Amino acid sequence: MTPQPLESELPDGPSDAELLEAIAAGSEAAFEQLRARYRPAVARVCRTIAGSDREDCEQEVFARIWRKAPLFDRRRGSAAGWLLTVARRTALSTHGGRRPPTPVEEDALEGAVEPADVDAFWLVAALERLAERERTVIALAYYDDLSESAIASRLRVPLGTVKTWKRRGLNQLATLLGEEPA
Amino acid sequence: MRHEDAFRRLPDLLEDRDESELLGHVRDCAECQRQLFLLGRVDRALRVGASTGSRPRRIRPLFAAASVAAVAAAAVLAVLLWPGQHRQPFMLRTSSGALVGEATMLHADARNVSLTLTVHGLPAAPGHMFVLWASDRGATMQAGRFMTDPEGRAHVRFNLPADHDWTHFWITRPGKAPTMVASSV
Repeated sequence: MTPQPLESELPDGPSDAELLEAIAAGSEAAFEQLRARYRPAVARVCRTIAGSDREDCEQEVFARIWRKAPLFDRRRGSAAGWLLTVARRTALSTHGGRRPPTPVEEDALEGAVEPADVDAFWLVAALERLAERERTVIALAYYDDLSESAIASRLRVPLGTVKTWKRRGLNQLATLLGEEPA
Repeated sequence: MRHEDAFRRLPDLLEDRDESELLGHVRDCAECQRQLFLLGRVDRALRVGASTGSRPRRIRPLFAAASVAAVAAAAVLAVLLWPGQHRQPFMLRTSSGALVGEATMLHADARNVSLTLTVHGLPAAPGHMFVLWASDRGATMQAGRFMTDPEGRAHVRFNLPADHDWTHFWITRPGKAPTMVASSV
């Protein structure tokens, strides 16, 4: 397989759908970029569902993405939704061989993915695409529930800088989300 | 207001909708309306991520006086001991004794314990947002945030470090001075 050139010079880089289509065409570079982008999100799914089998799960998820990328059709849904479905089904099958009968609530995971779940899954990957300072401010605001003043104090930067970074980060995430089909 | 300035400031509307000039621009701008819709989805996904523990939680001391007060109040209540077995439910009750939910350890591996929290009839809170805390008598950590439906119901999961014997759980409203809503008694 020959690595294909990517438009990585663009500020936001290729969309998830574009990466999947490049992977389907045999691009190893696209595969590595998608893997770097979605590794934390896939790890989270595997950790939640596969538990102690999560390392096997993560490897198998990306192996399946490489094999099944030609099946992705952006007209049928978002790339994140497709990736989440692959990750969940892989996690369930990875864990299924070693576990007792599945509790009912875990069986429910195998159905269609909920839009809110897709957004949350996508978000973990999208945060990786932000600059460190924007990602940090958003994490402190949402995950640590810090006020903008507290963030400014923590980071030792002016309050206005925190506002700017937070606005920019949120706007970038929204713009990235807008690139993906609903 | 210039479009570029309005577009840049759209995230402000997620927190403060009393910006008449900005809202006036958005009312007539399809591009800003679309971006605001997407910002709403991002904001919701971030809150869901925070409530389900998508980021590793840190063990941290209780810092707010009200949190200490909440722990002190909880200490008055009987504490269920974690016997080291899976599926041990912790019943969560309000200060008046009303049962409002239970927390159950479902699965553990070398690093994580999976905790399922089911609540019903929690009192209304701003944004229907609550925080679940866990304690092993020595350390206290925020297990995560969660949202309830308008009837105060929720069914969520959190991961907790497996190297602690979690003995006590309680629910507060979010904020710097959280008020205890229910506790495992």
